[in-house]
Amino acid sequence: MAKLRIENLYKRYDLKGKKKKNAKLNDFAVNNLSLDCEEGEFVALLGPSGCGKTTTLRMIAGLEDITDGGIYIGDELVNNLHPKDRHIGLAFEDYALYPPLKVYENIAFNMRAKGAKNDEVHRRVMEIAPLLKVEDLLDKMPVKLSGGQKQRVNIARAIVRNPKLLLMDEPLSHLDGKMRQELRTEIKRLHNKIKCTSVYVTHDQLEAMSLADRIAIMDLGVLQQFGTPLEIYDDPVNEFVAAFIGEPPMNILKTTIAKIESEFYFTFEDSELRILVPNRYYDLLSDGMVVKMGVRPMDVIIGKEDSKGEPVKVAVFENLGDERRIGVHVGDKLFMLITSEEVRYKQGQSIKLEVRAEKTHLFDIETGLRIRN
Amino acid sequence: MASIELSGVTKRFGKVTALDNISLEIKDKEFFVLFGPAGAGKTTILNIIAGIHMPESGVVKINGEIVNQVEPQNRDVAMVFENYALYPHLKVYDNIASPLRSPRHKKDEAYIKEAVERVAALLKIDQFLDRLPVQLSNGQRQRVALGRALVRYPNVYLMDEPLAHLDAKLRNVMRGELKMIQSNFNTTAIYVTHDFMEAMSLSDRIAVINEGSIVQVGASDEIYYLPCNEFVAQLMGDPEINLLDCEIDVSGNVYSAKFTEIDAVIELPHDADVYATLKDYGAVKLRMGLRPQNIEFSFDPADGFIQGQVYSFETIGNKSVLTVTVGGKKEVRLIAPNGLPVKLDQNIYIKPDLMQSLYFHADSSEFICRYNEAAIRALAAEKAGEE
Repeated sequence: MAKLRIENLYKRYDLKGKKKKNAKLNDFAVNNLSLDCEEGEFVALLGPSGCGKTTTLRMIAGLEDITDGGIYIGDELVNNLHPKDRHIGLAFEDYALYPPLKVYENIAFNMRAKGAKNDEVHRRVMEIAPLLKVEDLLDKMPVKLSGGQKQRVNIARAIVRNPKLLLMDEPLSHLDGKMRQELRTEIKRLHNKIKCTSVYVTHDQLEAMSLADRIAIMDLGVLQQFGTPLEIYDDPVNEFVAAFIGEPPMNILKTTIAKIESEFYFTFEDSELRILVPNRYYDLLSDGMVVKMGVRPMDVIIGKEDSKGEPVKVAVFENLGDERRIGVHVGDKLFMLITSEEVRYKQGQSIKLEVRAEKTHLFDIETGLRIRN
Repeated sequence: MASIELSGVTKRFGKVTALDNISLEIKDKEFFVLFGPAGAGKTTILNIIAGIHMPESGVVKINGEIVNQVEPQNRDVAMVFENYALYPHLKVYDNIASPLRSPRHKKDEAYIKEAVERVAALLKIDQFLDRLPVQLSNGQRQRVALGRALVRYPNVYLMDEPLAHLDAKLRNVMRGELKMIQSNFNTTAIYVTHDFMEAMSLSDRIAVINEGSIVQVGASDEIYYLPCNEFVAQLMGDPEINLLDCEIDVSGNVYSAKFTEIDAVIELPHDADVYATLKDYGAVKLRMGLRPQNIEFSFDPADGFIQGQVYSFETIGNKSVLTVTVGGKKEVRLIAPNGLPVKLDQNIYIKPDLMQSLYFHADSSEFICRYNEAAIRALAAEKAGEE
């Protein structure tokens, strides 16, 4: 177990022919990435496909050359260290178990390759197997296992040698619904027991939010934000992070600020809707200013009769039992509200909306960056 | 526009009884949802109404007329399938127009153009009319499949899990859009789904189907708040409702629930109806149903809270699920906000909102009672009266 430090990491793939001619200076798969993972921490690299998360993981593992920057495991610079000397456990999306070997030998393989003695191997396999609930499968061949079981064996194999770092790349993406959720819980509980420093690549925000101590969100090779799930969810640094996390997604709408009788309102093109701006933003705003406002559906509140602002017609009301969702049209977009209160609305009925002050965000119309005070 | 009636319908496939003596009455212009787990017989019901399957016994009526012997093409139904079933060689326009060019429903091209444009606008596919299905995303294909049905006004729309192929995000969006355009349907719709949110959102009424039988029929509020048994209660909600074994203790005028699995006792709020029903019920053993959103939690011990340990904490999108082990092994699920700083296995204290609790028979799993039952029945009746 060790901490991991990534300093100003760059990766550019060598482009050939036409592509090379058109390459721009900023064509980096990973662009100036710096990250610190504490000892025993679980960090998720999250982002859409092509964001550089897997490339980063492969550079940490030593499977990919580094264009520039440094990777430290513990305090050791590992840039030029062979993958096998980095003391890393790897678990990828496809399980890649050895088909002719029983589960026991699959888990034992890496220890045997290092010349560990039989009783040492046995002790360790029997220690790890129950952690991943594969102790009853040790005599089986991989072909007899379900996808979830194969991934459990794969992870057991990755941690059998007590690696300094455990690296996982989308280990759940081959699994479906229930099995996926089960193994996700198991991975979290396993980490809680062995506290092995872990880096976990995923495009699934639910996985990242559920598993990680801290999440690094990347887009186009650039780190957008690095923080706890709470920070990422409640305090996004920009529009990209705000929109990427949460389902149904955050309402993010272009708005013109209107000053009416010393109060500021969010107004929207092609919509009657007018929502009172939280007080805390007053010193940042002026009449006519155009920004984007963002608020999660759970943080929109049904206004009262005497609430400030202008009402709008309900476009859709859904009672889902566990919660109720109300949508109103803002231009061609739908502004969503989710409430656990027992309310009933009809299509076409008037409704006023309020937003929770501390959960309402402003974004720069050009850069998408959060406007803070 | 039509009413549909099934009475005593039984359907067998070889030795398997797919439908066992089913009776249903679907009103004219109703949006009726057939809801249940895979293999329940939902699609078979749809196919029997469409005339694709013949029942072994029982009667199918459309608008009061027995149609058992009527060929599918003469029943005037429009179907929407899960796998879209678009004509791959036809443009979107021609796919949507195809029912109006069939010999039975033939219309002139001017009428067709207007009709296609009407549904294309409704389904927001007007800019794709010149494309082939292969050039569309799954969500767009499903819109085209819907459009092909909606272009006509048949006796009934039969929709078989039309959103099941879409990913969660798109399904949420499409469900909302379907809900928005429902009022334009102007005809009866029967909609098959295994997704309780679709059933809740879209339905005028729901029939819960299991193993070839109808378990419960009612408005969504009835099904959700007054499930007739544990099976229905478990289907309606994600995460599932918690079911806790308990015994009712009566001391003087106070009823308490003693949870046998978790070694805790909670006094039940006084309510004449609930107390009377539980008293009539006699036996002490029953099961209490508590939906995850009806359980409070605290990280500090407090009066009326039961101690447990955090087993897992996982987000489901706009909120998270906390799984708490109580009494060592019983897992209780509750809803918590996203990003809560919580450590696995740490102590946590939970308190159920008993006003929302449901009571089930310990052996038969049948519903016994709940708080506010009369008010909920009134609400459901009011909704039914509107339609």
